[in-house]
Amino acid sequence: MFYRLSGIHHTRYESARALWPVPADRWQVVALAVLALAAPLFVSNLYLGSYILPWLIWAAAALSLSLLMGLAGQLHFGFAAVMAIGAYSSIHLVRAGVPFELALLGAGVVSALIGTVFGAAALRVKGLYLVMATLAMQYLVDWVIINVPAISGGAQATLRTPAVSFLGLPISTLIERYYFALGWAVLITLFFMNVKRTSFGRALVAIRDKDFAAAVIGVDPFRYKLMAFLTSSFIGGVTGAVLAFCYYRAVTPEQFSFNVSIQLVAMVLVGGLGSAIGGYLGAGFVLLVPIFLTNFIAGLGESGWIYISQNLMAHLPLIFYGAMIIGFLLLEPLGLAKIYDNIRKALLVWPFRHSRS
Amino acid sequence: MTEGNPLLHCDGVSRWFGGIHALKGVSIAVERGEIFGLVGPNGSGKTTLVNCITGFYPPQQGRILFEGRQINGMKPHRIAASGIARTFQNVALFRGMTVLDNILMGRHIFMRPNPLASLFYPWWARREEIAHRQSVERIIDLLQLESVRDEHADVIPLGLQKRVELARALSAEPRMLVLDEPMAGMNQEEKEYMVRFILDAQEQLGLTVLIIEHHMDVVTAICDRVLVLNDGAEIAQGPARQAIADPKVVAAYIGTTRDAA
Repeated sequence: MFYRLSGIHHTRYESARALWPVPADRWQVVALAVLALAAPLFVSNLYLGSYILPWLIWAAAALSLSLLMGLAGQLHFGFAAVMAIGAYSSIHLVRAGVPFELALLGAGVVSALIGTVFGAAALRVKGLYLVMATLAMQYLVDWVIINVPAISGGAQATLRTPAVSFLGLPISTLIERYYFALGWAVLITLFFMNVKRTSFGRALVAIRDKDFAAAVIGVDPFRYKLMAFLTSSFIGGVTGAVLAFCYYRAVTPEQFSFNVSIQLVAMVLVGGLGSAIGGYLGAGFVLLVPIFLTNFIAGLGESGWIYISQNLMAHLPLIFYGAMIIGFLLLEPLGLAKIYDNIRKALLVWPFRHSRS
Repeated sequence: MTEGNPLLHCDGVSRWFGGIHALKGVSIAVERGEIFGLVGPNGSGKTTLVNCITGFYPPQQGRILFEGRQINGMKPHRIAASGIARTFQNVALFRGMTVLDNILMGRHIFMRPNPLASLFYPWWARREEIAHRQSVERIIDLLQLESVRDEHADVIPLGLQKRVELARALSAEPRMLVLDEPMAGMNQEEKEYMVRFILDAQEQLGLTVLIIEHHMDVVTAICDRVLVLNDGAEIAQGPARQAIADPKVVAAYIGTTRDAA
């Protein structure tokens, strides 16, 4: 219907390899870009600051994890710890007088190094055992942050982020922080999509799909598993720093607890492993659906249509939320991105229906 | 030993798995440009020998030389980089990739993948990707895979999957190609196509081929020499028809009259 492949003839490999070879997709991207750029004009500050801004940053975090879990197939249940390392490193670097730009890089480097040390377990173990190794990272990092006052400022302390500027532009008002987060999310998205269409991404997927066949065609499994941890932890760490400076503006250890790691895994799974748009859909689902459910059910209760006790009120959204996750995964195990893809493919061949798989 | 300087030389290769003696001092010398067949009943050690050559199970005894360099003890990805490519008995394609990406994986050893190149794609990775795409297209042409180029590897028929695997191995520009039952599970037509593609590739790319095959018609038709294994040991070696007609080989495959009685 909206999508048409007829009339698209690739005469050069460059155009066949473009990120969005179908014009309808390109228009969608342009429309999204315009909406995102103009968002401060038509979205209230409340929605911009408490829904859209965190959504963008968590989507970037989900994409960082998806690079590792979706493309390279290495499970990581301690990714919040990686982000915590990035957040704390960047704050301490800025406080020590390092420019924000370099502090972001430093945060990435520190996260990448520590993340890769724990990721080295992946060279020996797979599956559930790797989950345990990464869980150990989560608890170790949590413990170190809480118990070393030089990092956390004390067990119950909150570290406020200093005022910073990026390439001469201050990052303090909501709109400035929004645009900075938007820029980072766009950069990570482009990076993610470019990884998928280059030899680096192919090598990661090869190791995920058939490690012995990858080795026999010349891929060093050790090297690429480590590279996957290194890259993913680097951008995860910088995303942690962006989250601290643009959204929380103050960090405490609880912001990066084990729950957050599980939420990140949920974002990646619900959104769709190894999918760029899945990162956004997954992060949106995990962050926003509980809020909307709570508002919706509270609205039903207030309108007097149904009686909901205060006790049930607290639990009902969680029940629906859990049921939705199970429902989506049963309906489409490949995540929301696959549902999007199905719709897109159905439109591509409309009014015929032979694309149904 | 045969004359001078074989491309691949296995010298007394032995391999145990616990108490099972899977290979008992097997020696072969594969000359440049020939098609060398490995035959034998199931469980006779053919795939084990191939796995020793490609580095999956390093032999516990014996040496393997490729172009005069010792390769036993090297990791599989190093052996791949030194010029040996293989296919698997049970198709080992990357299921999450398209046919094109699978074949592009064969170019991995010539590429320099890194995340920064991906990040700066238009300035850095694109030229490399396009250059290798061109050489992959030549292999796609050779094996007539144009029509399934953009399909996902797990949705095409088995015969084509095996051909894609051959294409992936060929695009690594190996000097030695190791094929583990390339025609298993194929019908007559697919089999004949496969034989033609193997011969075409061998001729056009100047390959040396080591092939495990159960179809004796294929073996006698394309192999210059064969090694017959039984229970991990050599029972015959030589020109294909001669080796297969050896009484010991017939006995190993279908038994002797004494066994039947």
